[in-house]
Amino acid sequence: MPLLDKETTEQVKRELADLAGPVRLVMFSQTFECDYCAETRQLVEEVAELSDQLTAEIYNFVTDKEKAEELGVDKIPAIAVIGAEDYGVRFYGIPSGYEFTSLLYAIRTVAAGKTELSEETLKTLAGVTEPVHMQVFVTPTCPYCPMAVVLAHQMAIASPMVRADMVEAMEFPHLAIKYQVMGVPRTVINETVHLEGAAPEPMVLEKLQEALAGEQI
Amino acid sequence: MPMKFQFTITPTVGGETAEGAAEEEVPVYDLVIIGGGAAGLTAAIYAGRARLKTLVLAGPLPGGQPANTDIVENFPGFPEGISGSELTQRFRSQAERFGAQVVLDAVTEVDFSARPFTIRTYGATYRAQAVIIATGAVPRRLGVPGEAEFFGRGVSACATCDGFFYQDKKVVVVGGGDSAIAEGLFLTRFAREVIVVHRRDRLRAAPLHQERAFANPKMHFVWDSVVEEILGEQTVTGVRVRNVKTGETSVIEADGVFVYVGMEPKTEIFAGQVELDEAGYIVTDKHQRTSTPGVFAAGDVQDPDYRQVVIAAGSGAVAAIEAERFLAEETRPTQTQPPV
Repeated sequence: MPLLDKETTEQVKRELADLAGPVRLVMFSQTFECDYCAETRQLVEEVAELSDQLTAEIYNFVTDKEKAEELGVDKIPAIAVIGAEDYGVRFYGIPSGYEFTSLLYAIRTVAAGKTELSEETLKTLAGVTEPVHMQVFVTPTCPYCPMAVVLAHQMAIASPMVRADMVEAMEFPHLAIKYQVMGVPRTVINETVHLEGAAPEPMVLEKLQEALAGEQI
Repeated sequence: MPMKFQFTITPTVGGETAEGAAEEEVPVYDLVIIGGGAAGLTAAIYAGRARLKTLVLAGPLPGGQPANTDIVENFPGFPEGISGSELTQRFRSQAERFGAQVVLDAVTEVDFSARPFTIRTYGATYRAQAVIIATGAVPRRLGVPGEAEFFGRGVSACATCDGFFYQDKKVVVVGGGDSAIAEGLFLTRFAREVIVVHRRDRLRAAPLHQERAFANPKMHFVWDSVVEEILGEQTVTGVRVRNVKTGETSVIEADGVFVYVGMEPKTEIFAGQVELDEAGYIVTDKHQRTSTPGVFAAGDVQDPDYRQVVIAAGSGAVAAIEAERFLAEETRPTQTQPPV
């Protein structure tokens, strides 16, 4: 049985109608000890069917270990959304509920290879020379969360130094505990700085700079 | 864990602007609707069917308040209830079906002093011959020490977002209205105990909610009490409450605090543009007209009394019908014109 109903399928087709370029959905799965691997794989395959520009690539997290390491994938289910280059856009856990919007947005933005970030933000990101890792914790029932995910993913697309993950907190409870996630969205930047809620672009940028400044000390 | 997966597509996130809006020659819309909740999207359905060139600026929370409501049980036509996210997605599909354009841009400034009206967002400037304000209301904060400090670390206003993190934990829900009780009941799916702290000696929530709350063994009540402080270290450890009748204070241990103490209209950007009442609500007449001709308002932004999805939708319909009439009156040739 398909995961996407007919109406949603039509809507996705429209959303992905004029992708600016080819996009690969590189998915890592495994048969055991993974709550939603099967469903995530199915979702990736169903979405990939809806545009000529999309391809699904399925890897096994264990037997394709080298591929996982190459893409920095350290947990499953994982989806790397890759366009003309790998911008570091990742989804850990199934992008269901409101996060489905984040997936579609990531596909469109990665296809275009350019973002809707402000000039100011782009200028600041251009000056980033140290690696930045943004992890946005979400739940599928959180209507505010896609805003935080989309912003982080855009920053990853805009800067070669930034990579950004959506992390579905319910599927990775140990990470939720590790990063003291008690509310979503919660964005963790380079393990050191965190941000609550769907914050506006300048505030997220400020936190990103704070994380970088902290490391220089 | 959800048994059934849902896949929700909300209007484009990330400050996208309507097509052509960034260009210098801005197209003038017949109608711009500010807000994408029940009122705004219903207005868009009516406006689309009236063939008005309509843009909905859905703002930061697509779907409005129902979007973070677990289940809506009192909207007619859904006898089994419907999830808030699905309901708002249906509103949106219906609006788009009739030609309304829905984008997620959030409005930062308006100028209603001259027509066409000007509506500025982060990304663009729009112009419209008529405007419907349907920005809704946002949860009121308690305004007590610890609330801002522990936001996201034990303090929340979104049970559907954060309920999962309170499995087998003890939470306090502050408030006694429908939202407080409905969301408190939702939290009993996760939490081992839900303590409702209410400032009166009885609930304001609908009797059906009350029956369910009193029948739920996980729900407990602390009456006549207000929260004075949210306590914690790294995360929330409890609340300090004061009994309003006896003046006594006590501490309730808790891992989380969900605040549902009513709503505040989102009207800051409209001050000086349309008349607001003392509480900040937009003043409207029964035709949903504001003090500025051509500007209408619908939904919770002008409704301190009922705050229901169905009423918001109804007032949105009225606003759209009135906006259409307003625009038609203007273009109609005047009766006094001599026959040619």
